[in-house]
Amino acid sequence: MSNIRWKVTFQIYRAKGDGPVHFDTFFLDVDPDEYVLDGVERLWAFHDRSLCYRHACHHSTCGACGMRVNGVEKLTCITPIREVTTDGGTLRIEPLRNFPVVSDLAVDMGSLYLRMDQVHAKSVLPVTEAEIEKSPRDWSAEDQQYIRLSDCIECGLCISACPISATDADYLGPAVLAGAQQTGLSKDPALVEIVDSEDGVWRCHSAYECTAVCPSFVDPARRIMNLRRQVLGQRWQGLFNRKGAQNLAVEEVTR
Amino acid sequence: MNKVDNEPSRSKWIEWFNPQGRNLEGITFSLNRITGLGLTLYLFLHLIVLGTLARGANAYDNFIKLVHNPFFIFGEFLVVAAGLIHGFNGIRIVITSLGIGVPTEKRLLVVLMAIALIGTLIFAVRMFTA
Amino acid sequence: MSKPSVVIIGAGFTGVATAHDLALRGCDVTVVERGDITNGTSGRTHGLLHSGGRYAVKDQESAIECIDENMILRKIVPSVIEPNGGLFIALNESDLAYGEDFIEGCEACHIPIEQLTPKKTLEIEPNLNPNLLLAFLIPDGTFDPLRLALSFAATAKANGARFRTFTEVKSLLLDGTGNVTGVRIENRAEGKPEELSADMVVNATGAWAGEIAAMAGGNVPVKPTPGVMVAFDQRLVQRAINRLNVPGDGDIIVPQRRMAVVGTTSFDVEDLDYVPVVDEQVQQMYERGCELVPKIAQTKMRGAFMATRPLIGGGDTGRSIARTFKCYDHKETQGIEGLVTITGGKATTLRAMAEKTADVVCAKLGIPALCITKDYPLLSYRQYYALPN
Repeated sequence: MSNIRWKVTFQIYRAKGDGPVHFDTFFLDVDPDEYVLDGVERLWAFHDRSLCYRHACHHSTCGACGMRVNGVEKLTCITPIREVTTDGGTLRIEPLRNFPVVSDLAVDMGSLYLRMDQVHAKSVLPVTEAEIEKSPRDWSAEDQQYIRLSDCIECGLCISACPISATDADYLGPAVLAGAQQTGLSKDPALVEIVDSEDGVWRCHSAYECTAVCPSFVDPARRIMNLRRQVLGQRWQGLFNRKGAQNLAVEEVTR
Repeated sequence: MNKVDNEPSRSKWIEWFNPQGRNLEGITFSLNRITGLGLTLYLFLHLIVLGTLARGANAYDNFIKLVHNPFFIFGEFLVVAAGLIHGFNGIRIVITSLGIGVPTEKRLLVVLMAIALIGTLIFAVRMFTA
Repeated sequence: MSKPSVVIIGAGFTGVATAHDLALRGCDVTVVERGDITNGTSGRTHGLLHSGGRYAVKDQESAIECIDENMILRKIVPSVIEPNGGLFIALNESDLAYGEDFIEGCEACHIPIEQLTPKKTLEIEPNLNPNLLLAFLIPDGTFDPLRLALSFAATAKANGARFRTFTEVKSLLLDGTGNVTGVRIENRAEGKPEELSADMVVNATGAWAGEIAAMAGGNVPVKPTPGVMVAFDQRLVQRAINRLNVPGDGDIIVPQRRMAVVGTTSFDVEDLDYVPVVDEQVQQMYERGCELVPKIAQTKMRGAFMATRPLIGGGDTGRSIARTFKCYDHKETQGIEGLVTITGGKATTLRAMAEKTADVVCAKLGIPALCITKDYPLLSYRQYYALPN
């Protein structure tokens, strides 16, 4: 943030009611260290008050401001303009894919939120369970008392970037599967039925776009693969449990 | 175009082959589908060709003479390339899908694709300079 | 007998909490918001679940509100809170002197504090300034702004409230004698105008309260006061860190997920709808933050933004204005029936603000039901989407 000013063209996706989708073009003088969201806000404040977009926290904790910037999913409140264009360049801003558009850049993330509840994804958890920050053995016993909000901010970027989510509305999606993985199938066996399914963990085809766009260190691709291991583990155990039960039944009959 | 086009639908399958904005794994995702379709097509053609055997040695020999032209050789080169790419990427997918080696997945991908590329180059040299 | 209808303007903390309270008391509630939930100031709050320690010396009314509501929120909506407590740190003689008043003030406001030696403090928070002289442990916390609001909104919706987002109030409907009878709105998602009549309109627009009240010729002494917030990309502390001194700029660091957020400043503004980030203030947050947590110098800035607090004031400026809230019945203040304004306050006291507002609204509408939100556990914030808007 300084006195440098770039001239940037903003092409904004517009959609109102049943009207046709079109792009509106605006020209802004921006500080390249400002964030893309700041640009969008200025467009609303000073150029077109009919523009609809979602935003809340402006510091990557609420997950509301996800948009596609020049075709790539970004969390616009922490994406400096410098990162996505140059002086004299163009920013094409569109809503996230694979969610119903409410209007312009605002989408309805209801399906994501409800699925997160379906898999009992934790919104707060002990910091020791967020193992990406430190490996488990680097945490002290003291640290277990601290609770923090989970990494996933339910921003929807992963679902927008996932090629499978583009073609299948029933696919649970990377964020949801990552949430189930965090909860853990051994701790919550009721989830097995939900994730060990056609639209669950087996629908992923390793495009890894989710991890590439996640702004919040969730690494959904790795979690989906780990969830598959958990599912296979559950199936393996299930095999022995059933066998055990069968043997008991046989014994009872022959006695 | 209207708003509803933003929602998931089967018709978006064409997006699977759009490299714009994709990372390396996303591009190999597209490549895997293209090579998979290519290899399947090749399999059918191959079976048809083998069918010519049933019509006797002459029919088969005539066909073999036909395929010695550059157009067919290039086609066969594509099959080899497709096989290498699809195969090695497949190895990566099988390994990581079982939850093994996921943190090193990127390195695995780069190494395997490099092997596929080198293999493709070797075959290219052999096939086009024979 | 149909339920009395209430239109609430604004889906920030006050709006959603009031919707929740009124829905429980049997009102037919519609919330109209020109953006999405917490579109305005509420979305950009620092996220500090106040223990009240910051106000225990100079503004004890606020401090008591804070500690009481802090305890209530921990009970009714734990799923959006990092409940790890906070520290007040003394770095110099001036801070130490303030410490005496601090202890007295906290006691007067029943805020539980524990004095810690520097050694013990550095044990539990190793990234703090190693030259700290004294510390007090207090029950601060961190909350997620959007999700706190969504929890109230989800519960209100489940109890019958309706939320009309991307719906802007263009003007108030007035009867022949200047009383408010509803709102004229525009559905911004479709570009369609509409009118909604209501038995009572609640102006919960925070910093914009003056603008909305003016639509009825009313008056509310709101002084919009923005401040900067800077987020750094590492969770350097587990607790909220406060400077032990008179409230000033850049004296609070709040952890949230994997970040440490330093705030804030206090200045005047003309245009509420867009407040640009001021470089000097960002630099100031960096420097002040480093005084408390030197490691900030080795972290990257993740985001910087402005948030405009709705302070209630007459002639005072910025920090000297009391941080408590006020509910204005415009019938009493300006003879305008049908309009109630609630503004001021802090995020931590959202439920109390709603209780006060709902009490006023219910008294005016003749609804005998009492407030039960103190012990009413909120639904999962995700359930906001279980019912359509």
